[in-house]
Amino acid sequence: MTEILQNLADGLGAGSTYALFAVGVSLIFGVMHLVNFAHGELLTLGAYLAYWMLLREFGWWVVVPAVIGAAVLGSMSIEFVAFRRIRGANPFTLLLTSFALEVLSHAVWKVFVSSKRKPFATPEWAFESFAIGSVRFEWWNIVAFGVAVLSFAVTAFVLRRTMFGLAVRAAAEDFDAARLMGVKANRVISGAFAFAGLLAGIASSLILMRKGGAEPRMGADPLLKAVIAAVIGGLGSLPGAVAGGLALGVTEVFVRDLLPEDLGGLTDGLVFAVIALLFIVRPQGLFNVETAERV
Amino acid sequence: MSPSTGFASGSDSGGTPGSGGTTGSGGTTGSGDVATSRRPGPAAPLFASVLGNFALLLVITLGGFAYASVGSSARDQLITEMLISVVLVVGLQVFMGNTGVLSFGHLGFASIGAYTASLLAIPEVRKHVLLPDAPFGIGNIEVPVFSATIIGIAVTFVVALIVGVVVARTNGLAATMITLALLFMVDSVARNWTDLTGGAGNLGSIPRLEGRVWVLVCAAITISIAAAFRFSPIGRMAQASREDDLAARAMGVNSSMVRFVALVLSAGIVGLGGALRSQSLGTIGPSQFSFDFTIIVIAMLVVGGMQTVSGAIVGTAIITFGKEFFRFLGDGPQWLGIDWPQVEGLPDFFLAAVLLAVLLTRPAGLLGAFDAGDLVLRIVRRRRMKSTALLTPSAQPVRAPRAPLGDDSLVAHGLGVTFGGFVAVDAVTITVAPGEIRGLIGPNGAGKTTFVNLVTGLVEPSHGEVRLGERRVGTTPTRVARGGVARTFQNLRVFGGLSVRENIAIAGLVARRHRRHRPAIDADALLAASGLTAFADHPARALDYGNQRRLEIARAAALRPDFLLLDEPTSGMSDTESAAMVSHIRGIAEMVGAGVLVIDHDLGFITTICDHVTVLDQGRILAEGTPAEVKTDPAVVAAYLGSHA
Repeated sequence: MTEILQNLADGLGAGSTYALFAVGVSLIFGVMHLVNFAHGELLTLGAYLAYWMLLREFGWWVVVPAVIGAAVLGSMSIEFVAFRRIRGANPFTLLLTSFALEVLSHAVWKVFVSSKRKPFATPEWAFESFAIGSVRFEWWNIVAFGVAVLSFAVTAFVLRRTMFGLAVRAAAEDFDAARLMGVKANRVISGAFAFAGLLAGIASSLILMRKGGAEPRMGADPLLKAVIAAVIGGLGSLPGAVAGGLALGVTEVFVRDLLPEDLGGLTDGLVFAVIALLFIVRPQGLFNVETAERV
Repeated sequence: MSPSTGFASGSDSGGTPGSGGTTGSGGTTGSGDVATSRRPGPAAPLFASVLGNFALLLVITLGGFAYASVGSSARDQLITEMLISVVLVVGLQVFMGNTGVLSFGHLGFASIGAYTASLLAIPEVRKHVLLPDAPFGIGNIEVPVFSATIIGIAVTFVVALIVGVVVARTNGLAATMITLALLFMVDSVARNWTDLTGGAGNLGSIPRLEGRVWVLVCAAITISIAAAFRFSPIGRMAQASREDDLAARAMGVNSSMVRFVALVLSAGIVGLGGALRSQSLGTIGPSQFSFDFTIIVIAMLVVGGMQTVSGAIVGTAIITFGKEFFRFLGDGPQWLGIDWPQVEGLPDFFLAAVLLAVLLTRPAGLLGAFDAGDLVLRIVRRRRMKSTALLTPSAQPVRAPRAPLGDDSLVAHGLGVTFGGFVAVDAVTITVAPGEIRGLIGPNGAGKTTFVNLVTGLVEPSHGEVRLGERRVGTTPTRVARGGVARTFQNLRVFGGLSVRENIAIAGLVARRHRRHRPAIDADALLAASGLTAFADHPARALDYGNQRRLEIARAAALRPDFLLLDEPTSGMSDTESAAMVSHIRGIAEMVGAGVLVIDHDLGFITTICDHVTVLDQGRILAEGTPAEVKTDPAVVAAYLGSHA
């Protein structure tokens, strides 16, 4: 029992960051049927910004808002520069374009900074922990989870109670009909990217406080996890993305715990096997958005 | 359902009204059209494609030699590397190019082929040292390289058979995600099953390939297979499914099966590519088949254009040589009298920039739908044209002979479906006699299109059944089409990227296998009767609205059906065009000997074309009878005509 609780506590932080990215991925998929693999590059952007600022002795309380701001602007510019040009293209082209952007981002950091890791100091509390009974809680996991819950509450409020949220939900349901009702395509898509960027910025800040370094390719892994989380939850479904992210974070810890020491590397493979299995059981179910095609 | 789809097709038509059945009035002049009446034999495109792509490969290989001769020793391996990439990329093209499904998993297959071939071929003595705990008794066998490669391909086939069952059931993004999962699973196993694979590091002592001849032969074989598949019936059906999966299934194409075949075939080729790769390097490791390399291979295919073999070859050459050049530049050489600074990551930068530029400006790739074979054919034709220039084609519509009618009536018995709590169609029974033209009419939202979807297996009925005489019609679109019920779609669904002739030929392929008992229909006669002869070699998406409608009807007719289900064939047409459509539908129905169920909300159109009319309202039959009877039925007048009269 203790072990289960301990695993839950350990998986919560990572799961929360996956969920934050996953909600963004899902949100963008909802409005333009794009699985945005470039989304994780916002983490890399934030990391290099944090590195630059921390080197100049800025405090984390300045770095965090800057990272979030950069993520919002970065997300919006990706949309403006690339995806706006191919809006309405088939999912294949959209997906590959986001991949090209991801590879380009990796290359840009390599060319203009370095392929080597640029370390920076993490805040002290990120690795401290406390115990309740025999379960150890790391502060970072608690904070990440709390921040994520707060973010999701705000997201839910924005989507349910504001005009912007209504427009996004309408666009996700039927973009053409939404446009006929006066929803401005540019504004709603740009807004969705900005909001996804905001969540990614929050997740990035959390990850950076723990990671303490910037590398060209650091965005790939969290994003892959986020896409998996969004897929598990059903692309386009935001509660699904949250559940998928948390489930993935916790599952990883459990699998790692169950596997013998020398097979720890199989974690990812097993996670993927589970996902493939999901598709075998419900090939259409996970992609409801696509099967709703009209005849 | 009706109102929104009706609107969608209306907006599709935009400002392009149909050309009203005029034949050959479009802007197609020139000799290309004349040639359609004297085309070379059916195998000609295949031979032309193989020939053209061999030539292309040769030119690029020679260009590679020229480039390598001016460079450093690092360029020696370049041509071998490129030829192996050609095998991998063309292999990937077999699946991605024909089915249109993005696959991240093919290097997983390459990895399996490579590991199998390598582990078998490593000398026994070395294996005892490198892999002392090798399972399956692999440690005690040593297989010659050639046989090891064949076994490698065979093992890849077997894995692909299993994976294919899963992938083929899905389409689009879901299939892509499964292939991604496959790549990571294979990678994970390769890294962690240390007893078998030696773990994350590289495993050496693989007998190396000598010379480039073998690789060149393998590339040539791969090109031939890919070209053959592209022109094979299954390959063409895969392309139809790529253009519009739903329409392909409604034309009797088993799209899961064709995707499955394409996947297994391409996996085998890619398995060979993987084996060649480790043999040329002399080592094998998981990093050779990483996600990064996957992106490179996909970029090669997409940059050149994934629809054709030539696209795959050209893309491979551009990326291979481009990356090499930028690696050279990034090393900080002295070149053209300039001291270049040392920059890392330049090749990746080049790769991403080219891929992005192509995707944003030419999503179909640099070559698009062009194949080197097209060029060969054009040259051959021009030669022939000189001798046959006096031949004029029969551009006038041909009165084709009437085909005999089928024996069985189409019976929808108590057919109905409920969406949530909403009864869209409620226990409708309609019988269409052989050769009869039956109208199904009703206001928007009456359930007309849903009824057609029920009959054709697109929507699963909550109750009721569909029969042809005593036979039950299948429950999937594919089975229904093969069983003899062909349909058209309210919102046009032609295979846009395929030629007009090919659109009809796809249905002909299915008919030849599953509708043999019905008289064959000449594609040229069908084209002529539809006024499409002049556009036969144009891509279907280039046709105007009216011609696309007639193409859809011709495509359905080419299935040799017992019954044609036409969903609002005059939607978005003017009165004159509708009138022309009436005689057109009658003519086509007579030509194939099929009964027709035509759906419309235009009463004028329905009454001129139909022998019997069924009126549907709110999912129920409101009235049935001759057009005259229906028109005077009080219930119909109240529910439907009241608003019109």
